[in-house]
Amino acid sequence: MRSGIIEKILRSRQRLIEELRVPYPASYKGEEEGGCGVVGFCATEPVAARHIHEPSRQMHNRGNGKGGGIAAVGFIPEQLGVTREVLNDYYMMHVAFLDNTVQGQLEEKYITPYFKVETSCRLDTVEDWTAIPSLEARPPDVMRYFVRVKPEALDSFIAKNELGQLTREYAEGEFLSQQAVKLNQEYYASLGDKKAFVMSYGKNIMILKVVGFAESITDYYKIDDLKAHVWIAHQRFPTKGRVWHPGGAHPFGAINTALVHNGDFANYSSVCEYLAQRHIYPQFLTDTEVSIQIFDLLSRTYGYPLEYIIEALAPTTELDFDRLPGEKQAIYRAIQATHIHASPDGPWFFIIARTLAGADKFQLMGITDTSMLRPQVFAFADGEVQVGLICSEKQAIDATLHSMSQEDGRICPIADKYWNARGGSSTDGGSFIFTVEKNGSGKYGLHCTDKFGVPVRLPSGAEIGNLSEEIMLSGKNGDKIAAGIREHFDTGSEGLFRYFTGSIAGWSLPDVARACEAVISQARDSNQFAGAIEVMTFLNDRRYAAGTKKRKHILQIVRSALRQLFSKMPLIGEGTSTAEFRLINYDTRGQLRGPREGETTLIIDTLGFPPEGNDCNSTLLVDAYVKGWKHFIVYNCAGQRFTGCGLGPHTGDVTIDVYDSDGDYLASGIDGLTITVHGNAQDQLGQIIKSGKLVIHGDVGQTFLYGAKGGSIFVLGNAAGRPLINSVGRPRVVINGTCLDFLAESFMAGDPFAGGGFVVLNAITLDDEGNVVDLKEPYPGGNLFSLASGGAIYVRDPHRYLVRQQLNGGNFFRMTDQDWETILPYLQENERLFGIRVDGLLTVDGKHRRPGAVYRKVAPAKLSGTAEMESDEW
Amino acid sequence: MEGSLARESALKEILPENTAKTLVPQAEVAREVRPAPPRYRNEIAKYIIRRSSDCTLCGRCARVCPNGVHVLKPGYKLFSAPHLNVCIGPSCRKTDHYCIDLCPNKALQMVENPMLKAMGDYRWTPDMLMATWRMAETGEPPAPEYGYEYETGASGGGFDRLRFRFPEKPPVDLLDDEIDTSIVLNRRGDGRPQVKIDVPWYGGGMSFGSVSNVVQLSKARAAVAFNTFTCTGEGGYMERMKPYDDHVITQIATGLFGVREETIQRVRIVEFKYAQGAKPGLGGHLLADKVTPAVARMRETVLGISLFSPFPFHSVYSIEDHQKHMDWIKHINRQTLIATKVSTPNDVDMVAVGSYSAGTHIVHLDGGYGGTGAAPDIAKKNIAMPIEYGIVKVHRFLTDEGIRDKVTLIASGGLRTPHDIAKAIALGADGVVVGTSELVALGCIRCSRCESGRGCPRGIATTDAELASDVDLEWGTQRIINLYSAWRKELVAILKRFGMRSVSELRGRTDLLMHLDYTNDVETHI
Repeated sequence: MRSGIIEKILRSRQRLIEELRVPYPASYKGEEEGGCGVVGFCATEPVAARHIHEPSRQMHNRGNGKGGGIAAVGFIPEQLGVTREVLNDYYMMHVAFLDNTVQGQLEEKYITPYFKVETSCRLDTVEDWTAIPSLEARPPDVMRYFVRVKPEALDSFIAKNELGQLTREYAEGEFLSQQAVKLNQEYYASLGDKKAFVMSYGKNIMILKVVGFAESITDYYKIDDLKAHVWIAHQRFPTKGRVWHPGGAHPFGAINTALVHNGDFANYSSVCEYLAQRHIYPQFLTDTEVSIQIFDLLSRTYGYPLEYIIEALAPTTELDFDRLPGEKQAIYRAIQATHIHASPDGPWFFIIARTLAGADKFQLMGITDTSMLRPQVFAFADGEVQVGLICSEKQAIDATLHSMSQEDGRICPIADKYWNARGGSSTDGGSFIFTVEKNGSGKYGLHCTDKFGVPVRLPSGAEIGNLSEEIMLSGKNGDKIAAGIREHFDTGSEGLFRYFTGSIAGWSLPDVARACEAVISQARDSNQFAGAIEVMTFLNDRRYAAGTKKRKHILQIVRSALRQLFSKMPLIGEGTSTAEFRLINYDTRGQLRGPREGETTLIIDTLGFPPEGNDCNSTLLVDAYVKGWKHFIVYNCAGQRFTGCGLGPHTGDVTIDVYDSDGDYLASGIDGLTITVHGNAQDQLGQIIKSGKLVIHGDVGQTFLYGAKGGSIFVLGNAAGRPLINSVGRPRVVINGTCLDFLAESFMAGDPFAGGGFVVLNAITLDDEGNVVDLKEPYPGGNLFSLASGGAIYVRDPHRYLVRQQLNGGNFFRMTDQDWETILPYLQENERLFGIRVDGLLTVDGKHRRPGAVYRKVAPAKLSGTAEMESDEW
Repeated sequence: MEGSLARESALKEILPENTAKTLVPQAEVAREVRPAPPRYRNEIAKYIIRRSSDCTLCGRCARVCPNGVHVLKPGYKLFSAPHLNVCIGPSCRKTDHYCIDLCPNKALQMVENPMLKAMGDYRWTPDMLMATWRMAETGEPPAPEYGYEYETGASGGGFDRLRFRFPEKPPVDLLDDEIDTSIVLNRRGDGRPQVKIDVPWYGGGMSFGSVSNVVQLSKARAAVAFNTFTCTGEGGYMERMKPYDDHVITQIATGLFGVREETIQRVRIVEFKYAQGAKPGLGGHLLADKVTPAVARMRETVLGISLFSPFPFHSVYSIEDHQKHMDWIKHINRQTLIATKVSTPNDVDMVAVGSYSAGTHIVHLDGGYGGTGAAPDIAKKNIAMPIEYGIVKVHRFLTDEGIRDKVTLIASGGLRTPHDIAKAIALGADGVVVGTSELVALGCIRCSRCESGRGCPRGIATTDAELASDVDLEWGTQRIINLYSAWRKELVAILKRFGMRSVSELRGRTDLLMHLDYTNDVETHI
């Protein structure tokens, strides 16, 4: 029955295409564009458009200012000048006019005859677009119409196309969608000089785009205060130089849906062909347009549940497919066989926002390609106001949360959880969906599930209303705690940290705040500053039992304390004190000088520094190093790149400590120095590292240690896709979590016993109490150590979860004493850095085991010498 | 124009004091033509002269030949092997010293060398190989009497069917030294050095691994002499390369072999190699036999294991990644220029404009005609767009976008002769990169065995110490210097015929070209 009506819908579209005489799609795109910067967030309360400013600004370097767009879903009716009923019942239609003279004619032809227009307005703008520097061309004038299809028009549409089986609501959506195609064909696609196009249509949804950076939209259309439940912003990087209208910019819309895209299809023409066979023709000739066309086709025409849509877009393959339950395999196989040509090939990452269920349920989702070739980070911030976020870079998430928390203290600037999706996988399906909907009590709630509908688990702990208000409350034990801090302060940072961890579970959040304040006030001389920084850093880096308090709240207090400590240091160029630390910031960067007697550490406040270029803080750091500084603390980072790069060789005596949201390429090429990231890190870290040490107290992003040649590297959490590709020489790496996939592909790092390189993959996580917990799977990916010719991977896999199919060119070898002696020093250092005890790693199900029963060695199949392969019955 | 970084006093502000670059004095190499005779006693020649038993050793042939083809050493009872490579062949008949006719006993017979049938290929014809050897030997374009057809090959397409439309006589008469062959490599006006090279070409990337280090050094020394550049290819920066830092382009290719901060800080140009026109989409290959202990050490890999560079960069899947990648290198070296080497896909124009907008100084298009024996045959010529189309497409697109004068467009991929270079420039390139020609100057015979075993029977594309010892550094340097000198003379001669004072006037002058297949023009002989 369903297929009958699908045929009819498709036939109606065929009729449309024929009536319009749309030429058969050409096999090339209208323009090329690169990947881009994308950010999307949703919240249980409508949030103002201005919060896309900071993440968008910080991702300027992912666009080139020649295309920006935003989408919003779930408005407050009053802000739009309509009633709740109109907002929920009527469709919002946004039409962009590049040539205002066509407005009357267009409305007469496409709007008024068919639609009941409840209200319409021209979006207000600033008068002079040139006053907004990040705009490159005059944005289009945008008309917003609240419309319903006139019953007689709908009746005749249904009759003509024999769509009587459809609900009227569905038919209305289809009518709207075909009307948009008609309008776009006449005023956009058929013309050399474009005149107008439909930007968005659907319930409770709006898309706006410009030739410029995305955040200029809120300035130009004066919508900084416009609130919505879901926002998406996109910075585009079209490579063609002359762009005069934003027709090709993202987001692209279909009914009730908006999509942005970061990437590039290699099979654009085959996807177009697939769509054309279903009578869907592109009009804007970009990847993104066809992406939304596929999504809309699968979801609305074929009526697939989201899981199957995601499967059609990013098919499950290889080992992941094998690991699916049989039933699922059968369905997925059918989906793949039918829709493989609709699956975009190449790097892509989609963020989609849509309205559902009577325009009162909203979704924000991110879908990554099977090979995870684009960066992506998800985050969930729980609380009285719940926020879900999806971005290209973690720093954009941090920037968004920071911006939101400034306005609303109920939002914590640190999320409960940050994670990546594993594309086309059997574990999460490479996609996560945030849904905002009303719960039983009529209040909006947010939940997040993966492709399979499995909810994302958040850390336990109590939520609070508003941290800053909370910590204003005087704790019961304020004086006692201050006394305790004073007492332990001189025992050194380790002792003080032990005091903290011993007591913190019993403290309230105000108590924690008091304790941190006490530490700050104790720090009066250089020595004490160093101690205070150290103990706060421990509190930031380590996991410890905190009672019912959430870690994110403690972190918020601790990080604020750290910032206070740093900012208390004497500024460079000020006074003659011989403090050990000197602070330099954007305003004082011109006064950089070499260290004076007694000065050891330069603290760089990166606030306001651009993310790259000759004026960025990493360049300042190189200059400072040339002038003689050897120790650096870099804080307030907001995605600034290249930290630690450019110092050249022979830097064994240099240390850099990085706080807050570091940027891409950190520690790339270092040759001797030690660099520590006190938190999660981003993409492309440690490219071509030659020697030195890199410590990351968190997760790390894509292509970690690509082409690395040496160094000792320690990661507390996970590495995303493709770590250590083409790595050679002698890098020695401990990753305590796991990787998404493609770990150590083409690894060529010699013989670990003769100075070569290796990776220890511990495959553990730390629970809320700081205890070692085994990951469900030590390595979920289907490709481990592929095509590698040297080095080794030591995987902690006591339950022998890894199988040969995951290796391509590698093999499992028996772990010998020599293997253990080779990796033990690194595990001991790992224990020192992260508190992950070697004993704990060797404990499985409560029992202490020998190393050979816990770790497995993966090495090149052709391994010479006497190495013994694991026997199958071990 | 601007000197070496090492000579700039601002260096201390730019680079850490401990970058080794400052410690290495830069070598000087004179731009001087000196004869560099072939390495082998019996150089392959176009004609051979057979001596029958009727020879009475009268010595007349040796006396009459002004080129010294016949060698009868005093005290010897027989002739030595003749120096056939200096024999001008049948055109000698018109002279008064044609040995064949002058031999009193008719003991001499001249025939075309049958070896030529087996040598070279349609693109590199035997004549072109021999002409290149002659240029490398003498530093002059080969004299017409040799009769080498070397300006074009026999491929039947591409540059081989393009000809210049020369005016009957030059519009202005210019002296050779009024003609400027230099080009500028940085046109962005971004505060980085302009970097001018004296000839509109530089040497292509060949790694230590693909060729021996003597070959790399010979190329580098010739680059110094002509104030141009050579490229390390992917695979590291030899210690011995350091005295030539100012004329070395270090390559960052997808395997990142041998790339270190220090190597990036040494040089004035860093090249990102995204693809090779000879094998787009296939990455790089260095087969096991060539991964000798020295190569493995340099690349820090496993001895005797084939090395594959992936395609593409795992960290670059889009234009903004490319920008970030370049920003990184610009951060490490604040003075260096960036060259982006790409092959020529259908949308090469978009690739070029994208690279420009991401911040590159040089867009280097590598077409499909190039490649040594290491590139798979199935890929060579069959994947990338022919370079003559690519150049025009990109040149016009950049012009339409209004950014043509902000970027330097370099073409490569099978450019063999000064005439090819001039044609590429007339099609719209600013300059070119040459590769195979330099190897031919060192005696390559285009046998296409570069990848097999330890490599090259002529000791060029090899890492085997014994094979490589066949090429002497001084000799290799001189051969390439001689080749460059001859090329420059030819290029000047072409410009002179057009009355152009600068090679940059030739850029984009497709009106001066004709394609024998598509126009009714009749070839005018140079």
